[in-house]
Amino acid sequence: MIMQLHDVTFSYRNTKEKTIQHLSMEMEKGEILTILGQSGSGKSTVLRLIAGLEVPEAGMITINGSTMFDQKTFVQPENRGVGMVFQDYALFPHMTVAGNIKFGLKKMKRAEHDERLASVIELVGLKGFEKRYPHELSGGQQQRVALARAMAPNPSIILFDEPFSNLDADLQIKIRDELRTILKKAGITSIFVTHDQADARAIADRVILMENGHILKTGTPDLILC
Amino acid sequence: MNVIRFIRLHVNSWSIMSIIFTLLILSPALSIFFQIFEKPNENWAHIQEFLLKNYIQNTLMIVFFTGLFSILIGVSLAWFVTAYRFPLRRFFKWGLILPLAIPPYIGAYTYHGIVNYTGVLQSTLRNEFNITANPAYFDIMNIPGAIFIFTIFLYPYVYIITRAYLEQQSASLIENARLLGSGPLELFFRVIMPISRTAIIGGASLVILEVLNDYGVVSYFGIQVITTAIFQAWFGMSDVASAIKLAGMLMAIVFLILFLEKVLRGRKQYSYSNAKVRPLEPISLSREKTILLFGYVMFIFTAGFLIPFVQLFQWMMMTYEKVVSPDFLQLIFNSVYVSLISAFIIMIIALVIGNFIRLSDSPWSKAVSRVTVLGYSIPGAVIAIGVLTFFLWLDRHLNTVYTALGIDAPIILSLGLGMLIFAYVSRFLAIGFNPVDAGFDKIGRSFTEASRLLGTSLMRTFFKVDLPMIRGAVFGGFTLVFIEVMKELPLTLLLQPFNFYTLSTKAFQYANDEAVHEAALASMLIILISGLSIFVFHAVLEKEKK
Repeated sequence: MIMQLHDVTFSYRNTKEKTIQHLSMEMEKGEILTILGQSGSGKSTVLRLIAGLEVPEAGMITINGSTMFDQKTFVQPENRGVGMVFQDYALFPHMTVAGNIKFGLKKMKRAEHDERLASVIELVGLKGFEKRYPHELSGGQQQRVALARAMAPNPSIILFDEPFSNLDADLQIKIRDELRTILKKAGITSIFVTHDQADARAIADRVILMENGHILKTGTPDLILC
Repeated sequence: MNVIRFIRLHVNSWSIMSIIFTLLILSPALSIFFQIFEKPNENWAHIQEFLLKNYIQNTLMIVFFTGLFSILIGVSLAWFVTAYRFPLRRFFKWGLILPLAIPPYIGAYTYHGIVNYTGVLQSTLRNEFNITANPAYFDIMNIPGAIFIFTIFLYPYVYIITRAYLEQQSASLIENARLLGSGPLELFFRVIMPISRTAIIGGASLVILEVLNDYGVVSYFGIQVITTAIFQAWFGMSDVASAIKLAGMLMAIVFLILFLEKVLRGRKQYSYSNAKVRPLEPISLSREKTILLFGYVMFIFTAGFLIPFVQLFQWMMMTYEKVVSPDFLQLIFNSVYVSLISAFIIMIIALVIGNFIRLSDSPWSKAVSRVTVLGYSIPGAVIAIGVLTFFLWLDRHLNTVYTALGIDAPIILSLGLGMLIFAYVSRFLAIGFNPVDAGFDKIGRSFTEASRLLGTSLMRTFFKVDLPMIRGAVFGGFTLVFIEVMKELPLTLLLQPFNFYTLSTKAFQYANDEAVHEAALASMLIILISGLSIFVFHAVLEKEKK
C-alpha cells in the first residue's frame, strides 16, 4: 500500500458544510486511479489534501509508510515526495524547459541533474526543446513539460488535476493514451481528477466516484461506468 | 487541538513579520488615538473657544468647493476628450493629466509670483499699457485663490478615473441615448454623470484627501485651517497635546470622507462583465462649437500646466547660477537618500505583507491589508504628530534604560532621520503595496504550490519563483514611492532633523522667504520627477495589469 487516507474530514473556511466527510481510500504501488465527480464534489480537494496544500480537520494520511497527517503531525508539501500536474500546468514562465524540470532536483547530486533531465525529456518525447521557454511551446507540449517536471524528482505518487481540460478534443485523446503508456512504463502511481467519463475509462485501472464530499462507489472502469 | 491546528495553519515567519509590521504602521495612529482624550490644557481651551470654528469652517469650505469644481472640470474634460473630435485631441488626452505633476504648493507660489505687484502680469500692465490696476483685483492669497490652486492642479484625479471609465463603457449605451433623441446637455447630465458616478466619487475623494493633506498652499496664502493649526500648536507653542487633538479632528474628517465615499458609491458597480467593449467613436461638431471646445480645453491646460511651467522655467534660467552650489547638491543628495531608503523599506514590507495575505486565509489577513493602505488617506501632518509622540514616548522609556545601564551618550530617536523615514513608510506604504498586491493577484497561487510540491520551502520559493515573477510590479512600486517621498512637504517639514532639508522643504522655504525665483530650480526638479511618476504609473503599471 503506497498511500492511505483514513477517515479524513475537511472544510474550507467560511463554509458550513464539510467539503470532505469521513473519507477513506488506499492505493497500491503503480496503480492509476481516477476520481470522477461533478464540480463541487470535493474531488480536487482530495488531491490538495494528499499534497499537503490544505490541512485536514481530522483523520490520517500516510504516504509510502510514513505518516503525513494525524493529530500530532503535519508534513509540509515540500517534504511529502508528492508530484502534481496542475490544471493550468503552472510552468515557471521565467525558466526554460530544462530549468523547470531541474527545479525539483535539489536532493540529487549535481552531476546527476543532467542525466535525470535527459531521461525524463526522452520519456515525454521533448528532446531538443530544453532551451525553450514555456510560452514558446504548444498546449500539449507544455503539459508534457509539466509531467516531466513532476516526474523528475521520483515522487512516490503523481497527482493530476483535470489535466486534459485545457486541450483541444482530438489532442486530448492522443495525449491521454500517450500518458497512460508513459506512466505504466515508468511504473508511477498516479491519481487523476476529472469530470469526464471518457477520460476515466481510457486511463484508469480503478475509478472512484465522488459526490458531496464522500465516495459513492469504487471499482474498475467497466464496473463503474456503464 | 484547535489551538494547535490554528498555530500549524497560521503561524509562520511571514505571518509573524506581517503582524509586527502592521502594528508598527499602526502605532502613529494609535498614539494619537490614546492621547486624544487626555485632559485639555489652557491652550486648547483658547483654541476651542476662539479659533476652532474658523479652522473647521475654512477647511470644509475649501474641501467642498475644490471637490465641486474638480468634478465639473474633470468630468467635462473626460467627456469632451472621449466623445468629440477637436484639434490636438490625442495630445490633450495625456496632456490634461500634466497639471498633476505640479504639486499645489509649487503652483501656489508660482501663481502668486505671476500676479503680485512686481509679477509679470501687473508690471506688464503698468509698463506697456500704463494701467495701474487696483492690486486687490490680483490678490489670490485668500480662500477663493486656494480653491483655484487646488482645483487647477488636482482636477486630473477626477479626469483620469472618469475618462478611463467612459472609455470602457460600451459605446452602445451612449449611442442609444443619442438615438433616443437626447441632446448633448441632456446626454451629459442624465446619462454620463449618473453612469460614471462611481468613478467621479472615487476621483473626487482623492482630490479631497490631497486637499486635507496640504499644508503648503494654505500656509503660504495665510489661510487658517486645521493643518496650519497643527503646525502652529507644535512649532509656535510646542504644545503637543493640542496638536494631537487637532490631528484627531483632521483624522475624523478624513474618516467621514472615506465613509461618505463608501455610502455614495453604494453597491452599484455599473461595470460591464461583457469583455468585448467597443470604444466610443468620437463625433465631429460644427466649426463654432469645435472652436469653443478647443478654447475650453486649451484654457485649462494653459492654466494648469503651461503658465506655471513657463514661469518657473524663466525664473530658473534667471537664478540657476546663483542657486547651484555644493549646498544645492547636498539637497538633491538628501532627497534621493531618504527617498531611496524609504522606498527600499516600503517594498520589503509590502512584499512580506503581500505574500502573507496571499498565502493566508486567516481572519486577520483582511484586516492587515486594510491597515496597510490606511496610511495614505491620513494627512501627512497627522502622521507626523503621531510618529512624533510615539518616538517621544520611546525616548522617555529608553532614557530609563540608558540611565539604568549607565550609558552617557544616549541616542535620542526623536532627533534623528529614523523618525522621518518611519513616518514616510507609514504614510506611503499603500503606494508600494498596491502594485505588489495586484502582481500577486495576477500570478495566483499555483506557481507557488507547484514549487513547494517540487520540494522547495516557502522562503526559497519566494525568492526563486514569486519574486522573479512580480519584479515588474516591485520596480513600479519602488519608483512611485521614491517619487512620492521626493515631493512630500508637510510631514517632512514637521519631522526633518535640524539642518536637514530636502528639495521640497527648501523650495518651500525659499518661497516663504520671499525668494520665489530661487525656488524655481528645486521646483522644476520636483515637477520633472513627478512627471516621471505619472509616466511610470500609466505606462508601466497599466501594462502590468493586462
